[in-house]
Amino acid sequence: MSAEPDTEAGDVATPSGDAASENGPPIPDPESVDDEGYVIGSGRSGIVRRIGHDDFDPVGTLVLIAIYMVIVGAMWIFMYFVEFLGGDLTVIG
Amino acid sequence: MEIHRYEKIWLAGALLLIVGFIATVSYGAVGAGIAMVDDEGGQVDPASLDDHPKFGEPGTYQAGENEYDVYVVARQFLFEPGTSEPIRVPAHSTVTFHVTSPDVIHGFEVVGTNANTMAIPGQVATITVEFGEPTEYGLLCHEYCGSAHHAMEGKIEVVPQSEWNESMVVN
Amino acid sequence: MATFVDKFPDEAKVVQASFAVAFIALGIGALFGLIQALHRTNVLRVIDSVDYYTLLTAHGVLLALVFTIFFLVGLFTWAVTRSFGRALPDIRLTWAWFGLMTTGTVLATVAIVAGLFPQIPMSADVLYTFYAPLQAHPIFYIGLAMFIIGTWMAGADWFLAYREWRGENPDSRIPLQAFMVLTTMIMWYVSTLGVAVSVVFFLIPWSLGLIETVNPLLTRTLFWYFGHPVVYFWLMPAYLLWYTVLPKLAGGRLFSDPLARVVFVLFVLLSTPVGIHHQYVDPGIAEGFKFIAMTNTMFLLLPSLLTAFTVVASVEHGARQRGGEGYLSWLGALPWRDPAFAGMALAGLMFAAGGFSGMINAGMNINYLVHNTLWVPGHFHMTVGTAVALTMMAGTYWLLPQLTGKAVYSRPIGLLQVIMWFIGMVFMSNAMHRAGLFGVPRRTAEPQYQNFDFVAAVGSVGEIRMQIAFGSLLLFLSVVLFLFNVAATWADDRVDTPVDDTIPEPLSPSSGAPLVLDNLALWTGIAVLLVVLAYTLPLASIVNDAGLLGGSPTFPVTVSLEWVVDVTVGALGNLSLDSLAGVAPADAVADLVREVRR
Ligand code: HEM
Ligand SMILES: [Cu+2]
Ligand SMILES: [Cu+2]
Repeated sequence: MSAEPDTEAGDVATPSGDAASENGPPIPDPESVDDEGYVIGSGRSGIVRRIGHDDFDPVGTLVLIAIYMVIVGAMWIFMYFVEFLGGDLTVIG
Repeated sequence: MEIHRYEKIWLAGALLLIVGFIATVSYGAVGAGIAMVDDEGGQVDPASLDDHPKFGEPGTYQAGENEYDVYVVARQFLFEPGTSEPIRVPAHSTVTFHVTSPDVIHGFEVVGTNANTMAIPGQVATITVEFGEPTEYGLLCHEYCGSAHHAMEGKIEVVPQSEWNESMVVN
Repeated sequence: MATFVDKFPDEAKVVQASFAVAFIALGIGALFGLIQALHRTNVLRVIDSVDYYTLLTAHGVLLALVFTIFFLVGLFTWAVTRSFGRALPDIRLTWAWFGLMTTGTVLATVAIVAGLFPQIPMSADVLYTFYAPLQAHPIFYIGLAMFIIGTWMAGADWFLAYREWRGENPDSRIPLQAFMVLTTMIMWYVSTLGVAVSVVFFLIPWSLGLIETVNPLLTRTLFWYFGHPVVYFWLMPAYLLWYTVLPKLAGGRLFSDPLARVVFVLFVLLSTPVGIHHQYVDPGIAEGFKFIAMTNTMFLLLPSLLTAFTVVASVEHGARQRGGEGYLSWLGALPWRDPAFAGMALAGLMFAAGGFSGMINAGMNINYLVHNTLWVPGHFHMTVGTAVALTMMAGTYWLLPQLTGKAVYSRPIGLLQVIMWFIGMVFMSNAMHRAGLFGVPRRTAEPQYQNFDFVAAVGSVGEIRMQIAFGSLLLFLSVVLFLFNVAATWADDRVDTPVDDTIPEPLSPSSGAPLVLDNLALWTGIAVLLVVLAYTLPLASIVNDAGLLGGSPTFPVTVSLEWVVDVTVGALGNLSLDSLAGVAPADAVADLVREVRR
């Protein structure tokens, strides 16, 4: 994933069909607010590079959901076969 | 519509998960033989349970060799039988509980087990389970049924075959 | 800088008013939640066990219905106004639905709370599911009906706004937020039909004595016809915030607008024909219907799983833009000190866990293990109680400045508050799940029974109780901090730029979404068809079996005072009652009730 060095304003806040929204205040000046989200809603002031649509592969997301999938699968098997089927008095009719 | 490759992978994984869940539950139903409470118990008139051939005299009935029917009336705030005297069934028997209510909705839960059903006025819930070694189970109402709901409880005694006798069945 | 309140001052007032009602309900509900948790774990008892159910009814109604839905109508009003970029058609209609919903809420709440005062001949101790034949005062049902009709009017308000906007923008895509609002409302119209029929045709006439009896399975089935979609009605405002606001808070952009639309359409289609999954162990419903409900339910997982991907990817986009690297270390590059971001992210994390217990709940036969045990409140405190409630609180930190022109009073208090909620819920919910697995029932005032003891396979019963009590305390304190922060913000002075309120364009814009997605009439038609397919036969057989009106007359929740006195006197005469020694008064009353029935 490569960073686009040039700061196209369009990548961050384009006017769009969502009429009222995009013409709000500009991104706060990075100098005047803390980068780390010290002001509510200031996440974008910490941006150090613009990543466009074609340069973004959500590989971290893939890793996270793969972990989730494994946990869910394992817990499902445990819950169904150990906790449930292994339990007392199964209803058979 | 353009979908990212990773999202397609995830979509496939998600579908697999869903199908896997349905397959497990189907295995439980077909392979492990678990049956759901359904409409097989039929209906009763909640206002005249006393006139019902079985619910009029609730308790354990022998239905066949080693097979028993237990008729239970769940009412505000007790099980009949179950509360003032325990439900008694012989060890190593197959027992079908028939549960209904003359007043409000109640629950029927054999504590710490999978025997768990609703008791709805007008409807008869039937669940069949197999009891093993002699032991005792707790019984509780798990649906809010009024101000003393938390006091609605009872006991099931699984009696050793050697101690089982005529007086423990109604019929 | 002009923000929402400057552009749409009238709408901002309605949104603020809706939030105010929501937060009052949150405060009262949280207090009752704390009392319940401490009571049923036997840590601290300030009420009688009999009154537990009055508080539990109020807790369920005030949090699950009033808090969530008032926040929703406020949020949706904001979303429709800002995404169409125009004022609502007629602000008097807007205030009318607000007024109707509020009046209904007050009536229902009065009927419930009156149950605490025996001298007032009114009560509604029927819990928020109001299963007949337990009966509440007619005012309770009438209040509920007014509340629901108010939400219908709100939906009409937003659809009228859509019509006006469409008139001027015949060829534009529906803006994403408005699309989410409109699809959610379609789902709501389809699903509230069930509860409306139940309340208007059966429960109100019955509580007024106009009809003698009801069919309890029918009213219960109609309740759950509505009762599952209502959970998506709670969830959709959270999804709206996760899709359209969270990416921005993270410093990124929404990954895919078209997929967001697909997800909302799936919810319209699948939310309603699943309600029977709440009745897996009900008699009178054939197993086949239960299996169909399960299949639909499992496929309903799909939109949520897709949401997980899209939302996490959007957040990851923010982290990468903020310099994040690696497979997982990008997580550290997120603005964790922003309570709006941190709260929503933690809410999403909790939803992943709550989602798992929901998958268990959805599995037809495994329901025997968990049905009506404490596992279930454990589950929904993670989902509606955190995924939704915490997202709403976190979202407030970003929305309130736009609605008032005032900066949030304290960011650190906000951050502390959302973290406390998360930790508190980890304790309370996890312990509730575990307790449910060994059979501890939900909706029960007493921790112990006379005939048996609960046995924990891992850990101990006492340890689990302590975790529930401790978690509930953290949760309550978190609400106190939240309400303080919000009140202090409201009391503050206006500032120039209270918050950065821009929302950047999605990475994959709406132009990539097939046009058919915006065909709301089509989706409505298919949704209705699926509901008809899923419900006609079960409802017909329920009515066929026991009649439209069934045979259940009225049953009071409590027995009359006179009767209690008789019982007490009678039982006190019977001193052989060993169980009376040293038990709490509440237990004693319960025992007496049982003794007398013997
Ligand atoms: C201060 C935070 C909270 C605490 C301490 C708390 C605690 C509890 C407890 C102890 C119960 C009773 C369990 C039982 O006896 O069955 C309960 C039930 C419930 N809670 Fe909460 N809760 C909190 C917040 C919430 C929130 C935010 C929501 C939803 C938005 C919520 C929705 C519910 C519902 C729907 C019930 C079930 C009521 C019923 O069974 O009729 N709670 N809660
Ligand atoms: Cu009960
Ligand atoms: Cu559901």
